[in-house]
Amino acid sequence: MKAIEVRNLRRVFRATIGVVRRKIKEIVAVDDISFEVYDGELFGLLGPNGAGKTTTVKMLTTMLIPTSGEARVLGLDVVRSAEALRSRIGFVFGGERGLYWRLSGYDNLRYFASLYHVDPAVSRKRIPYLLDLVGLSDRGQEKVEGYSRGMKQRLHIARTLLHDPQVLFLDEPTIGLDPVGARELRQVVRNLQAEKKTILLTTHYMFEADALCQRIAVIDKGRIIALDTPEGLKTYVKDLAVIEFEVYGVPSNVLEQLRAQPYVHTVSVENRDQKQALLIHSPRGSQAVPDLLSMMNGIRIGNVIVREPTLEDAYVRLVGGEA
Amino acid sequence: MNLKTLRDYGRVIFYAAEMALRSNLTDSFVLFGILVQPIIIALLAFWMLGDRGGEYIIFVVIGSGMTGLWTSCLFISGNSITQERWTGTLELMVSTPTPVSVIVIGKILSNVLQSLASMVLSYTLAIVIFGYVPTINQPVLFTISLLLTILSYACFGLLISPVFVLNPDVQRLQNGLEFPVYVLCGFMFPIALLPGWTTPLSYILSPYWAARALHATSSQWNGLGEVALSWAAMVALSLIYLMLSSLLFKRLLRRARLDATLNIQ
Ligand SMILES: Nc1ncnc2c1ncn2[C@@H]1O[C@H](COP(=O)(O)OP(=O)(O)OP(=O)(O)O)[C@@H](O)[C@H]1O
Ligand SMILES: [Mg+2]
Repeated sequence: MKAIEVRNLRRVFRATIGVVRRKIKEIVAVDDISFEVYDGELFGLLGPNGAGKTTTVKMLTTMLIPTSGEARVLGLDVVRSAEALRSRIGFVFGGERGLYWRLSGYDNLRYFASLYHVDPAVSRKRIPYLLDLVGLSDRGQEKVEGYSRGMKQRLHIARTLLHDPQVLFLDEPTIGLDPVGARELRQVVRNLQAEKKTILLTTHYMFEADALCQRIAVIDKGRIIALDTPEGLKTYVKDLAVIEFEVYGVPSNVLEQLRAQPYVHTVSVENRDQKQALLIHSPRGSQAVPDLLSMMNGIRIGNVIVREPTLEDAYVRLVGGEA
Repeated sequence: MNLKTLRDYGRVIFYAAEMALRSNLTDSFVLFGILVQPIIIALLAFWMLGDRGGEYIIFVVIGSGMTGLWTSCLFISGNSITQERWTGTLELMVSTPTPVSVIVIGKILSNVLQSLASMVLSYTLAIVIFGYVPTINQPVLFTISLLLTILSYACFGLLISPVFVLNPDVQRLQNGLEFPVYVLCGFMFPIALLPGWTTPLSYILSPYWAARALHATSSQWNGLGEVALSWAAMVALSLIYLMLSSLLFKRLLRRARLDATLNIQ
């Protein structure tokens, strides 16, 4: 059984730009994507900022109507059967919005339980259980405005489980959490999967997708550019080596020059504390280092490392070094 | 619609109303509007009009009370949708199995009841301070009229609130609606003073009939016929508003999902 089926889905936004001379600009946020998620699968949608992840999730959760194409969740069309679908799915959008800050965590849950038509006798038992599940038992009676960001995010997870949905959409659930909080949240996600829920997770952390998902769709500029298992995605870069230069700033003309070399596949720069890492993917591996160094004359360089590619590198290669 | 659905909706209305009450109690701006302002108005009204007789006072009390109810209904119902958009809960609300109109009913009912309660309190206070006892000709009929008034306001508020999900200029819409409705409904002076072509407009506004029933049962008793007519009109219009509102909500929510206006960017 397929829990989610997406066919040629597209979504265009119109935005007015300019204050004086108003113009309408069309933004293609999701550009003809198709994929399927199987029953009980934990599926990742991975992509950089603005790739169209949230837009896709909003269409699948009936908040936005697609411009064209179609999508079914649990066999129900997300436009025509939106009403029937709503009680069977849950969703979380990473971040602090979407809660009533003046109410306690408990009261937030009680209110949403009523909106999902959960019987009060059931919710009286389920709310304490869910608060416990997300580690908020002892803070449930406090107002949400006093919660930390991670607590609000965990409350959202509890909120979306109130009606025991079969399919869950988690849009960057770990965004803005500290490493410990993020790890705890990933454990909650794993536990949900163990309960046989179908989960579509979006993230822009490769390692998170790698650690959790059975299959990953890499999305960039509204299009799916790869869809495979984590192992499958790694083969995208298995012929390449990664050369890492520790640098302290690189002029853009040098980057251009590096990119122009035929044996260089991708060039990307990552910020690391005071310094930066210049990452170059090349099939020539260590043999390319002397040539590359000669092009970086006059740039201060620290360590140079040549290593095997990771999944992160596969991702960087797929999205063209912009991540 | 079966019994379980009705019970579920009833529960949503109750919780939404309770939430609206609680969030108002913690909002000092709204608190001023529903607690302090009516007291000031009531005291001023009694102080200025006290010597013109009980009947006149009750006319003014009801007229200004209706005006206050209308203003709070218009502003609070519109602002609450806008506020939910800002806090990101509007989108969430829309994507639950509960129709948005059911949630909005709870909020409006709560706000109308709160305004009403604060007015009753204010005028009771004014009565105690000034010692005038306003007369109500037909207390029983008046009470029934008051209950129907609450219903009318809730349904009328429900009719206009779908527009707010589209995210138009909320403030302009509110300012544009506030005064015309107040005049057309004859809260403070009879609609006979208005040009004839506006009369049909008054007739399709349920607060007009509410004002008429309340004035008639308190100070301008003209026999049961007029009151019965007002009641019938209130009930019929409220039912029509309910149907129109649910249609409007369906269409405008669809529009909002097309235009992506349920959330801020
Ligand atoms: N309501 C809207 N109006 C106009 N443009 C929009 C709207 N919502 C999204 N977009 C645009 O659509 C594109 C995709 O946005 P989306 O939020 O889906 O990306 P994302 O993959 O979730 O990114 P992020 O990782 O930053 O959350 C972006 O260019 C964004 O600016
Ligand atoms: Mg996003």
